[in-house]
Amino acid sequence: MPVQPQLSTVRSGAGASGNGSSSSLLGRFVSAINLPFVIVATLLVLYGLLVVFSAVSADEDYTFSRQLAGVAIGLVVMALVWAFDYRRLSEYTTLFIIVNVVLILSPHLPIIGVNTMGATSWVKIGPLPQLQPGEFAKITVILLDASIMARYQGRLDDPREYLKAVGLMLIPFACIMTQPDLGTGLVYLFIAAVALVMGGANWRYLVISLAVGIALIVAVFVIDEVLKGATGEYKLLKQYQRNRLLVFMNQDSTDLSDEGYNLQQAMIAIGSGGLFGQGYMQGSQHALGILPEAPTDFIFCVLAEELGFVGVITLLALYVALVIIGFRIASASSDMFGLLIVSCIIGMWLFQILENIGMTCGLMPITGIPLPFMSYGSSFMIVNFALLGFMGSVWTRGKQNTRRVDYATAH
Amino acid sequence: MLFAIIVAIITFIVATAAVAAFFVLRARKAGTVAKPSHAGRDRVRSVDNVGVKSTLDEQVRARGGKHATPTTAPAETTTGRVSESLRSRFVALGVLAAAIFGSLTVKLWSMQVLASGEYKNEALQNKYTTVATPAPRGLIYDSDGVMLVGNRTALTVLADAEVADDHDVVQRLSAVLGIPYNVVRMRIQDQSSGAQSQRVVASDVRQRDVAFIAEHSDAFAGVTIQERAVRDYPYGALAAHVLGYTGAISDAELETMPENRKVELGDIVGKSGVESYYDNLLAGEHGQRRVIADSKGRVVEVESETPALRGSDVYLTIKAAAQYVADVELAELIAPGNVIGKGKGVGGAVVAMDVTDGSILVMSSYPTFTPETFNGGITQDVWDLYSTAESYYPLLNRTISGLYPAASTYKAFSSLAALKYNFANKDTKWVCEGTWDGFGSGDWQDCWFRSGHGELDLHGGIVNSCDVVFYEIGKAFYFAGKTQGGTISDTALQEEIAKFGFGKTTGVDLTGEEGGRVPTPEWKEAYWSDVPTEGFWRGGDMTNLIIGQGDVLTTPLQIAVAYGAVATGNIMKPHLFKEVRNGEGANAAAIKFESEVVDVPEVEEKYYKEVRDALAEVALGSPETMSAFADWGVDPTMVGSKTGTGEMAGKEDTAWYVCYYPKDNPKYVVSTCIEQGGGGSTVAGPVGAHVLGALLAAENGELTDIGRVAGSSGKSVEVSSSGGGRTD
Repeated sequence: MPVQPQLSTVRSGAGASGNGSSSSLLGRFVSAINLPFVIVATLLVLYGLLVVFSAVSADEDYTFSRQLAGVAIGLVVMALVWAFDYRRLSEYTTLFIIVNVVLILSPHLPIIGVNTMGATSWVKIGPLPQLQPGEFAKITVILLDASIMARYQGRLDDPREYLKAVGLMLIPFACIMTQPDLGTGLVYLFIAAVALVMGGANWRYLVISLAVGIALIVAVFVIDEVLKGATGEYKLLKQYQRNRLLVFMNQDSTDLSDEGYNLQQAMIAIGSGGLFGQGYMQGSQHALGILPEAPTDFIFCVLAEELGFVGVITLLALYVALVIIGFRIASASSDMFGLLIVSCIIGMWLFQILENIGMTCGLMPITGIPLPFMSYGSSFMIVNFALLGFMGSVWTRGKQNTRRVDYATAH
Repeated sequence: MLFAIIVAIITFIVATAAVAAFFVLRARKAGTVAKPSHAGRDRVRSVDNVGVKSTLDEQVRARGGKHATPTTAPAETTTGRVSESLRSRFVALGVLAAAIFGSLTVKLWSMQVLASGEYKNEALQNKYTTVATPAPRGLIYDSDGVMLVGNRTALTVLADAEVADDHDVVQRLSAVLGIPYNVVRMRIQDQSSGAQSQRVVASDVRQRDVAFIAEHSDAFAGVTIQERAVRDYPYGALAAHVLGYTGAISDAELETMPENRKVELGDIVGKSGVESYYDNLLAGEHGQRRVIADSKGRVVEVESETPALRGSDVYLTIKAAAQYVADVELAELIAPGNVIGKGKGVGGAVVAMDVTDGSILVMSSYPTFTPETFNGGITQDVWDLYSTAESYYPLLNRTISGLYPAASTYKAFSSLAALKYNFANKDTKWVCEGTWDGFGSGDWQDCWFRSGHGELDLHGGIVNSCDVVFYEIGKAFYFAGKTQGGTISDTALQEEIAKFGFGKTTGVDLTGEEGGRVPTPEWKEAYWSDVPTEGFWRGGDMTNLIIGQGDVLTTPLQIAVAYGAVATGNIMKPHLFKEVRNGEGANAAAIKFESEVVDVPEVEEKYYKEVRDALAEVALGSPETMSAFADWGVDPTMVGSKTGTGEMAGKEDTAWYVCYYPKDNPKYVVSTCIEQGGGGSTVAGPVGAHVLGALLAAENGELTDIGRVAGSSGKSVEVSSSGGGRTD
């Protein structure tokens, strides 16, 4: 091992550990940058803006500047979160539960609550643009689930503790189902599942939970069927949810209900992109308004249509890179809480990527889940930046810890 | 396809394997490379724990406390790395990620690379739409080339269905267009043109108002302006019933269209009159536009275009100048000031025909309508107005669909029958005392001339229209019938009358023609099947029939055609169609009508002569008609004519006048009927005489003025009954 680099590492490490006032703020900041992480995140955000710009150009209901504003606010939020030591939050489980419940239930409040298309998912406070608290709650759900599992320090073999943890994690899901918003609810469930797996819950409990979950889903359908027999209509699942499932199960049918039509047009958009796409700003499906909700839920179709398989693979590669970086940060975390936060973030993104892209190409049933960094919408954009901030925060603390260790080793 | 599946599976496996391999390698690397230092690190960490404690850790411990006593914390967790014990979990999450990205990649590969062609086709189908552009309809001219129906573009204000709920927009539309608020709202809610399509708020809107709406489009959300080709009627309601009107095709019409006719939803088709009957000639062929349109139907780009082919121009046999006189005569007689009931009668019909070839030269019906009001779909208020009894149904073409008792106009045909069966001849004479009870039943039947005509032969009976003469002939027919022990058919009289086309349609080239009725014993029995005691054919039925009363029903056109046959011996097929001309050039006539003799009644020439001689004297007996002929310089001695006054219980009489000219070499026949008009010679006679005079003047080229005719206002007052009795 060469001596020289080691020495310099020690020096910078000593500076970064911040036990002297001599180190400049800039120096701390520069050393606090995870270059691959920043590059991948920047590329993703720019790529998203590029696609959104094309998508909104054909639809006067959306404005590109609003998306830019979302990114700008997001950057500030990210910087603040990054600088903040996440470890301070690890003990606030009760607080997170309260915050989650209040956030998710806030659209039910009078005056600020807004009901659109049968779901009470939005709030409008004064002149601020309409916000979706369920999106912001993704952050607190991650923090809640991570803080619950962190206290077990990677081993959870006690069935009572396991049930307690699962019960606490189901609170946000229960709240979101009152809106109702099944899509976001599934995201919460998936975050909880990742927290359980990565938090070291006993494999047997996990398998049993999965079996119970599947049994519950079956039970919902069975009970619904029984209810229909008794009352003449389905009570548990709404008709549009049934339609979405039916369309998913039976994609070749020429049934052109709204859901079927949406899926068909989304698949045409993707397929017609071919290897290299129709060209940027040239996608006919979204430019002519045939593709529904192009800038938001079906943004992936715009990308696939205009930039083709090459553009799609580029996006997937960026996602893969982000996930790998996420794994590295998680495994390098100095504590269980940080590891779980990052794992949950990755898990959430994975689920949203799978569901969003999957629904547009017929792999998954249609639900309104946005695609991270791509979909139009400032709420989710800010949330993603905040999550990037948490990843950065975990990485920074983890690195400091490693440096401290290295420093101690060297001396 | 098999290849695609294989490639997809391979790609999936490779992708999954690659990602899994990455994690496995990474994990092993961490295991092998880090292991030697692992122990060292542990030691160092313990040093760290003992010596250089993080201030942060202290803070956390001080606040939480729990961190210091983890429930199930393994020893390593206090060190810098917590991930080692969770390596299997990372692998699990990694495999999940690999599966997600792998399956997405495979699916997208199959869609974008393997099956891209099909999707591209579908996208192209989505992108391009072929729109049929409407073809301008052909124009309609009169026989001299006067344009009766043209085309022009009109600005139409349309609104989406949702606009009906927007109070402000409806209010603004009402203010700008000058239509009451409720009417605007009602029109927007009207679903008659289909639930999806935009609703017509106003057709033919002024340029100024359209400009205002276009400039303030923000204030008129959901409102659009469209340029539509509409029919133009330079003379208003002139010959409205002949021309008919147009409108958007209905679902029912769409289904019943013949195969060779290509129609699209929203096409303008003829709904009545010539517009409807010759729709296939007038309609033309759609153009085709291949366009890129967005999901809202807005055309973004036009790819290619085949122009629409305008419909053929149709020339009618109508003489517009004479038609104008007829339309005005009827309007002034029936509805001075456009209110029915202020003049004489409640409705009227005049039809003039060229007896040599069946060309209809004048066809006028009152009350009438302005076909223009039907442009862009008739509004509910107009439709409602025209459907009330008070308006006397202006849409009804009374010349072909109006059914009236033929009254004394029947006497020409009864006379021919009487002559044939020898119930009347040169020596037969009757005495008219003004009233008659030939059957001795006590039911006295009156002659229109209550004082009585005295002694008459058949000639005198026709000239004076003496009813008693015909009662006697009817009685003779009745008792000669087999049922009454006679030798001839019970319906011999009806058969003779029916030879002249009564009881069946004339076959004129219009829709909605009625055939009328010549009552027979069978008909009566069937008609009264619910009350069999009434279904018995009596002598009185025969005497009613012979003077064209009772259950006799006929149309003015039937009378015209039948008198044409009395004049010439031929029953002609009446027609309005003269020829089709495509484009310019005098010789461009593509289709011309061919005159058709429908039937030649078997009537001996000497009987015709007998009747014609009598008809030639009728006009001379009526001072009103004589003076009317004089108005147009027509020599009344050249006219063969017959009056009629049809009685209807509880209503004013139906006035008839039918004449042909010149009597020796007949060319024209004019049939006039005024519904509830009163006496034939005093009310219908002058109208018929004027129309014949105008027709002659128009044929000579002396009459060319054509003016604008107003449609009926739909208003009426109660008809004042003259109560003067018949003046046949």
